[in-house]
Amino acid sequence: MKFVLIRTIINGRQYDLEVTGTKRGCEIGECGACTVLMNGQAVNSCLVLAPQIDNQEILTIEGLADGEKLHPLQESFLDHDAVHCGFCTPGMLMSAKDLLDHTPDPSEHEIRTAISGNLCRCSGYQQIVDAIKEVEGVSREQ
Amino acid sequence: MKPFEYYSPQSVAEACALLAQLGSGAKILAGGTDVLVELRKSADDVASSIIDITGISSLKGIEESSNTIVIKPLTTHTEILRSALVGTYAPLLKTAVAGIGSPQIRNRGTIGGNIMNAAACADTVPPLIALGARIRLQSSTGDRTVALSEFFTKPYITVAQRGELLVEIRFPKLPSDARSSFMKLGRRNALSISRLSVAAILTRDQSGVLTDARIVPGASLPTWHRVSEAENLLIGHKPTRELFVEAGKKVSDIMISFTGRRWSTEYKEPVIAVLVRRALEECH
Repeated sequence: MKFVLIRTIINGRQYDLEVTGTKRGCEIGECGACTVLMNGQAVNSCLVLAPQIDNQEILTIEGLADGEKLHPLQESFLDHDAVHCGFCTPGMLMSAKDLLDHTPDPSEHEIRTAISGNLCRCSGYQQIVDAIKEVEGVSREQ
Repeated sequence: MKPFEYYSPQSVAEACALLAQLGSGAKILAGGTDVLVELRKSADDVASSIIDITGISSLKGIEESSNTIVIKPLTTHTEILRSALVGTYAPLLKTAVAGIGSPQIRNRGTIGGNIMNAAACADTVPPLIALGARIRLQSSTGDRTVALSEFFTKPYITVAQRGELLVEIRFPKLPSDARSSFMKLGRRNALSISRLSVAAILTRDQSGVLTDARIVPGASLPTWHRVSEAENLLIGHKPTRELFVEAGKKVSDIMISFTGRRWSTEYKEPVIAVLVRRALEECH
């Protein structure tokens, strides 16, 4: 697993590490656009202070693909047209990865629960659910 | 976000010393799902110091001792949801945390934060009061135990003194013949604040007569407490739909006796009655 530093916000200043995949949305933990994995669990990065990630494992959307090779979830999102404007996509993918890492063969209900903290303002949920349901070849190793 | 001082104590003693030293401008940070939102507001009373207790490992985990379950305050909602102990001995608490926020919020938010934030909509509180929970508060000068039912004085206000840190939540295991439930009405399924909720526990004897009944509504009374007037309607009787309907109406009457009639009463009056009836029916 690869680790990429996350852009977090502290003391009103944004430290720009030129890592822009994680999106800044509502900043109150409601929209899920800023979702990253912290020690393997989906969290809203807007609700985590920068010093709190000291010595923690953080995976952002930049770490999902293996170089040029997209993660199976990303391939499935493309296959199912699960990206409309794309703003929610990085967060959706991280929530989906958390789900599949813990529940390799989820029910539709489990999928919908897993992305219930991610808002898609284009309302393209059905394609996103289909993409997660029909993802193929997800590596189950950590 | 205004600048603030950041402290990350590694022990309860260290955290209590900081609380005593920093005074009124200090705020405890646990899961951050409320505190970080507050910190972004430009209000004058925003905390000037943050005491991040998430590094204190003794404040994490769920344990059992003979007849008691102990939940440490930094335990997240997700950890409670996945806990076999909670699933066996306090299933209504498991139901309640399953409906809190979203997966991301449940992965960070803690039971201690839910209690100490003291919002009227806090979903862990009605089940914990129904379970007879007690909490332990520690400060630099000592510690004390308080019944959770006596902890809250009004929304967002508790009897906790400045300088006190919540260090433990404990409650008796539900007996194996008890049945429990939690029901919540929100405006949608996820990321939804409880408009009304009900925690219920029922125990029957072998002939089916109710020997124990506990009903704790959430987000409906000025503070949480068991509604003994409704519970007493049930005890000593065999459960019927009519009886549950009657108990629901009683809770509704009690709610209105506290809140008076306001704009929301038109829907809350029938809805709390139905929620209570359904919560009781779930206890089968």
